Amino acid sequence: MKRFIFLPFIIYSLLNAVPVLAAKLELVSPVLEIGVGQEFQVDLMLDTEGQDINAVEGKAVFPRNLVELKAIYTGNSIINFWIEQPAQKNSEINFSGVIPGGFSGVLGPYWKGYRPGKIFSLIFAAKKEGSGVIEIRDTKVLLNDGKGTLAEVKISNFAYSAEAPLSGAKAGQFSIKDIDPPELFTPEIARDPNIFDGKWFLVFAAQDKVSGIDHYEALETWGREPDKNKWHVVESPLVLKDQSRASYIFVKATDKAGNKRIVVVMPEFKPWYKKPIVDMIIGLIGLVVLLLVVKWLWKKLKYKWPLI
Amino acid sequence: MSLKFQYFLIFFIFAIFSVYNTVLADSGGVSLTVTVSEAAVCGNSAVETGEQCDGSDLGGATCVSRGYTSGSLSCNSNCTFNVSSCTSAAPSTPSSGGGGGGGGGGGAAIISAPSTAVVFSGRAYPKSTVTLLKDAQIAASTIAGPDSNFQITLSNLSAGNYIFSIYGEDKDGIRSSLFTFSVSVTSGVTTNVGGIFIAPTIAVDKSEVKKGDNVAIFGQSAAKSELTIMVNSDEPFFAKTGSDNNGVYLYNFDTSELDYGSHNAKSKAALSGSISSFSKAVGFEVGTKNVLAPKSVKKFLKDDVNSDGRINLIDFSIVAYWYKRPSPPAKVDLNGDGKVDLIDFSIMAYYWTG
Repeated sequence: MKRFIFLPFIIYSLLNAVPVLAAKLELVSPVLEIGVGQEFQVDLMLDTEGQDINAVEGKAVFPRNLVELKAIYTGNSIINFWIEQPAQKNSEINFSGVIPGGFSGVLGPYWKGYRPGKIFSLIFAAKKEGSGVIEIRDTKVLLNDGKGTLAEVKISNFAYSAEAPLSGAKAGQFSIKDIDPPELFTPEIARDPNIFDGKWFLVFAAQDKVSGIDHYEALETWGREPDKNKWHVVESPLVLKDQSRASYIFVKATDKAGNKRIVVVMPEFKPWYKKPIVDMIIGLIGLVVLLLVVKWLWKKLKYKWPLI
Repeated sequence: MSLKFQYFLIFFIFAIFSVYNTVLADSGGVSLTVTVSEAAVCGNSAVETGEQCDGSDLGGATCVSRGYTSGSLSCNSNCTFNVSSCTSAAPSTPSSGGGGGGGGGGGAAIISAPSTAVVFSGRAYPKSTVTLLKDAQIAASTIAGPDSNFQITLSNLSAGNYIFSIYGEDKDGIRSSLFTFSVSVTSGVTTNVGGIFIAPTIAVDKSEVKKGDNVAIFGQSAAKSELTIMVNSDEPFFAKTGSDNNGVYLYNFDTSELDYGSHNAKSKAALSGSISSFSKAVGFEVGTKNVLAPKSVKKFLKDDVNSDGRINLIDFSIVAYWYKRPSPPAKVDLNGDGKVDLIDFSIMAYYWTG
């Protein structure tokens, strides 16, 4: 009897053992059965498990012989700024980004507590029958603690099995309904000795909650309206062509559904009396006046005191 | 050891564990409430806030009540009154810019489609500036009332997940730590985020204090709140003080108990049952002499790469330029390990101001 006396205590201790916190990176898909030719969506989700996370990097690896990557969507991502935008390189998708202020989970009016947040969505098409795994590798998840401490991470990959489509059945095609333009954004001009030899540059980052930003275009012009033929694709940060900052700068963000948002950065206003050419003219006039005054004084003094 | 004593011991340990777990569960700090209120929907035959009428529901209005002598009042498709069938004189006094002459209806423009918005409310410091970041970029700011309460409304949003951050700036220009949360926003409704309690600001009067002398720990919080100050040492020291009507608090901490070396202090506020998160930590040294702390607020802006007083997209862009490049300048290598990698970005993200 005596040897069992501590049994309840042991059970209680086990039940109340402080769990080892580990964030979870999970590949999830709403599709359970996949037919050859069918497109399906796989989301990379971050479940913080109560931790505060502010930086994530890693790569998604997929079997290229079995599936084809059709699209990558970053709409509705918890990542505010991408250091490396998710992009395909052979059978890998590398990604790296930050969440300023940290992320603990998504709050909502229709549920209690926190829900995992989406990092990005991948759209695949099954090329042939067979089983495959889409994996997450080389991950780093960092705590929002001001030190960049590595968080423990649990990985959950996505295993699937593609089967032959039923005869006569049409393979499902993925389509995203996005009619909203990217959100309003505010580019900023700056310069710093640490980059671009201290030249003025422009930074910008727009958000799109549905399909995500596809690309940016910009143009610098003296006119108040953008010339539709002069747009060129750019990335932030962008070194300004007009370092005098006298141009209007138009920036166009286009989402993956083709919706566009154009914003303008006004030229730096300088009153006429602050322009360099005006400064030079005033300086020259001043110099001439000074010389005339000196000459006049010289003549006057010479007349009064001829011995000078 | 008797059997009875052993049972008592087990009961005692159980009780201790239960209390310990309860304390842990309650120490989560700020609890946000996220609710929705439906926006006015034009076309549902019910007059709601922001609508003059909706379908056949005229809200009791008639041509006479609108300043006409007779006629039949109806409702436009955008939920504004249609007075084209009202007769005689024009409306007596249009509220604003009602258009001159003719039978044009007076009154202001009315919301005709459901808007997607978020309303943030909570406590900051009396008459302080409260800044809201949307997805890490400044979206709005407001001034808190004398009672420390504030409210910010952000409209014209898309449906989706947003990361919002809020911080306060005290009377000395010192910013609080960033209070960040992610909210799912639903199309066509107003989401209310309540219960925000911005952490206090904190500063010390000395960067080095002679052991045994007092170090003044001060800052600003909600008016008439209770402050808990934690000073880290081998074992943390806790002290309590209150803020005045202006939210200002001051505590003279006796350093006799502290060892020589570096220490830091942080504070949190409690008021009417709600608790803020902890403030930023402020450091000081216990040594052999007293050295006054610098008064510049920039001392709190660690990792401000371009030294403009903010840590935002510009700093991110400068650091991103050096990502994985050889020999980065010391200023962009935030942890000084000779390279710019994810850790540098994580450090920057922690000190973000937008």
